Amino acid sequence: MSKDILICRCEEVMLSELKAGINEGLTTAKALKLKTRAGMGICQGKTCRPLIEQIVAHYTDKEIPDGSGLTFTYPVRPISLIELAGERKGVE
Amino acid sequence: MKYDLIVIGAGPAGMSAAIKAASYGAKVAVIDENPSAGGKLLGQLHKEPKSGWWHGRKIAREMETNLRQTGVTCFQGKEVWGIYPRWKVIMNNGEELQSENVLIASGATEKAIPVPGWTLPGAMAVGAAQTLTNYHRVKPGNKVAVIGVDPLSLSVAHQLKIAGVHVVGIFLPPNNEFSKDRSTPSQMISYLSSMAHAAPNIFLKFAGNMAKYPFVQQVGAKFYPRFGIIIWGTPFYLRKTVLEIGGAEQVEHIKVAPVSQEGIPNEDRVKTVDVDCVCISGGLYPLMELAGAAGCESVYIEELGGHIPLHSPEMETTQPGIFVAGNITGIESAKVAMEQGNLAGTVVAAKLGLFSYKLIEEAQKNVKEARENAVITFQQNIAKGREKSQQSWKEYDSKGVKLYADS
Repeated sequence: MSKDILICRCEEVMLSELKAGINEGLTTAKALKLKTRAGMGICQGKTCRPLIEQIVAHYTDKEIPDGSGLTFTYPVRPISLIELAGERKGVE
Repeated sequence: MKYDLIVIGAGPAGMSAAIKAASYGAKVAVIDENPSAGGKLLGQLHKEPKSGWWHGRKIAREMETNLRQTGVTCFQGKEVWGIYPRWKVIMNNGEELQSENVLIASGATEKAIPVPGWTLPGAMAVGAAQTLTNYHRVKPGNKVAVIGVDPLSLSVAHQLKIAGVHVVGIFLPPNNEFSKDRSTPSQMISYLSSMAHAAPNIFLKFAGNMAKYPFVQQVGAKFYPRFGIIIWGTPFYLRKTVLEIGGAEQVEHIKVAPVSQEGIPNEDRVKTVDVDCVCISGGLYPLMELAGAAGCESVYIEELGGHIPLHSPEMETTQPGIFVAGNITGIESAKVAMEQGNLAGTVVAAKLGLFSYKLIEEAQKNVKEARENAVITFQQNIAKGREKSQQSWKEYDSKGVKLYADS
């Protein structure tokens, strides 16, 4: 039995939790995200998005789909409220 | 501010496109998140068998000069966080640029191969180790293990060695959900042999030469010595895997096991090796977050590195006016990225009515040529991947409807 692996750092989701989700009948990356919060952190899954897709493909024995259902949302990079408001004068 | 073309990313693809379009008279803006232009060119330095030294930093500087000479407006050190129809490009300083044509040349990012303990401080992607060593001139650790065998990991192992780091060895990743062929000795030997003619560094040259004989490819995995082959003082273990990274507060050791030809570890012969840093190389995948958020349809093509924006032979995505070029369309060399950029820049200039469409065919031919002449391939079966990509576009185009609706 090999040791557990952390997959989503932002939301601290382990590989075992994702596998358990698949065993419970979740069959898509989106369903796993909704159930476990994997890929739901502020980085939007920059590291774990491909991992979640690989896990689903591996354990459901399916190809990774063309549209994975893991959406991208603006802002794609973290920004400050001041940047959003466009008022940067005198702010460092 | 209004432009004819806004380019996101000043790597080889983005800069080529900007220079091309501007040289035909288009008003072009380039936005790039890094302190200086060049993207991945900045870290590239290797010798090619026919054309000699490829000095990425020098090429980047020349292209930057070209950008200035062709009157391209550069926004350096700015991040794009959103693109709204059709099309407003918004930067993290709150500034907004407008154009009917946007080229997303956002490149690629590193793919992880998770191993137990891979999130401990001291474990990092191989690209991070390269940036620390070559750019910041800081050693990532004193005793370093490298996991993963590919052109990037071998180059970085070489650079670490030059920087005075003790590289304890280059190992295969463990056989798990994420490593696929990368954990199999026989697959890795045939992959290395496909690059025997390229010699960007001493490791790759040696590994490639060793593996280029059919005999070695067939029996190589079986007879590859378990104690590794020492190349320039660094053990190169094609038959050992790292099962686990351990340590209390940070990386302190790795657990290593010998593997069969098929990559199955022998768990009865696990050894602990003390290290303070582990560099993991899982390859690259196209970075398509901006394209995805802008509504561009994607297609998954393993041979190209993962999901890419579905795009036409003219590099236009399913969102009219949004183009792509470079590694966002699949992991290939800088030379291919440059030709793809030239193509996208040519298409946009033609669309603007700056010259006839005939030049597009020539630009497409140049992309193909660059691909065929590539010295190092980062992905196996690139040609097959490109065929799939074209086929997907044909299917999409013929139906005239959205093929890949969000599931």
